Amino acid sequence: MKPSRGTGTMNFAPVEKINSELFTLTYGSMVRQLLVDNEDNVEAVNTQLEKMGYNIGVRLIDEFLAKTSTTRCSDFRETAEVVAKVGLKMFLGVQATVANWNADGTECSLILEDNPIVDFVELPEQYQSLSYSSMLCGVFRGALEMVNMKVESWFVQDTLKGDEVNEIRLRLLEVVQDEYPFKDDE
Amino acid sequence: MIVSMAVVGPANSPLFIHTISPEEDPLNFHYIIHCALDVLDERLNTKSKTPGGNDPNLGLIYPTEDYRVYGYVTNTKVKFFIIVDEIETKMSDIREIFRRFHLAYVDAVSNPFHLQGHALASKSFEARVRSLAAIRL
Repeated sequence: MKPSRGTGTMNFAPVEKINSELFTLTYGSMVRQLLVDNEDNVEAVNTQLEKMGYNIGVRLIDEFLAKTSTTRCSDFRETAEVVAKVGLKMFLGVQATVANWNADGTECSLILEDNPIVDFVELPEQYQSLSYSSMLCGVFRGALEMVNMKVESWFVQDTLKGDEVNEIRLRLLEVVQDEYPFKDDE
Repeated sequence: MIVSMAVVGPANSPLFIHTISPEEDPLNFHYIIHCALDVLDERLNTKSKTPGGNDPNLGLIYPTEDYRVYGYVTNTKVKFFIIVDEIETKMSDIREIFRRFHLAYVDAVSNPFHLQGHALASKSFEARVRSLAAIRL
């Protein structure tokens, strides 16, 4: 890792924290409210959650870049590493491992052992197809779009659905070319 | 040995009843808990005079010929019952089991999909209660 980047733990330490239960319960009640508002249309709620995540990601990337002195990533592999190790650690307090790269290096999986937003949650029968943590996927999409990478992300394995770990697939669609005449590296 | 564990809501509606012994009719335990509720309510009303910290443990509230019922009430009027069939049971063990029962209940209720006042449908809660009930006293 480049020395200018700093580790996730180092960046996690001075950031203001809140009680994780408060966060989990807030997210939970928000999902409940979305379900009520959309009259139990699970697909619509999934889309909404992802859109909300997108809006969060778009704003979060600036804070991330400001708090860490991350330099420009040379390729998607590095991006995925930074997202998993630094980004997730800094904002969620958990680290993910990057795995399952495809041949091109354009698709990978982020494996999260535990996901703090799903503490205490058990999906009832009628909501089995709910992508409860799809907000996280939206955050990745929004944040990376602001650094000129169009990605797609979705859950492959979900502990809420009975899997061992949480696996999020990240696929790079395209890298939008910079239009700025100056370099981002300072 | 613990034969039954139950949670009753603030409006005295049963939220969760778990019975162990297969030979005994589970409905019997429903009746026992129902009667224990009355005793517990009476105990609550008389105790309300005392100032200072309310101990949630109410101890032995209803001895029948075969069983003894222990009660525990939270400040939100959620009631927990443990029914045992032995004569010699240590209060400290019962206290410990109630404490863990309460913690399991809190986790189950924190599920955003749990509807307040409805029966507890959480599988993990059931599993935890089952393992608690299996503790030898």
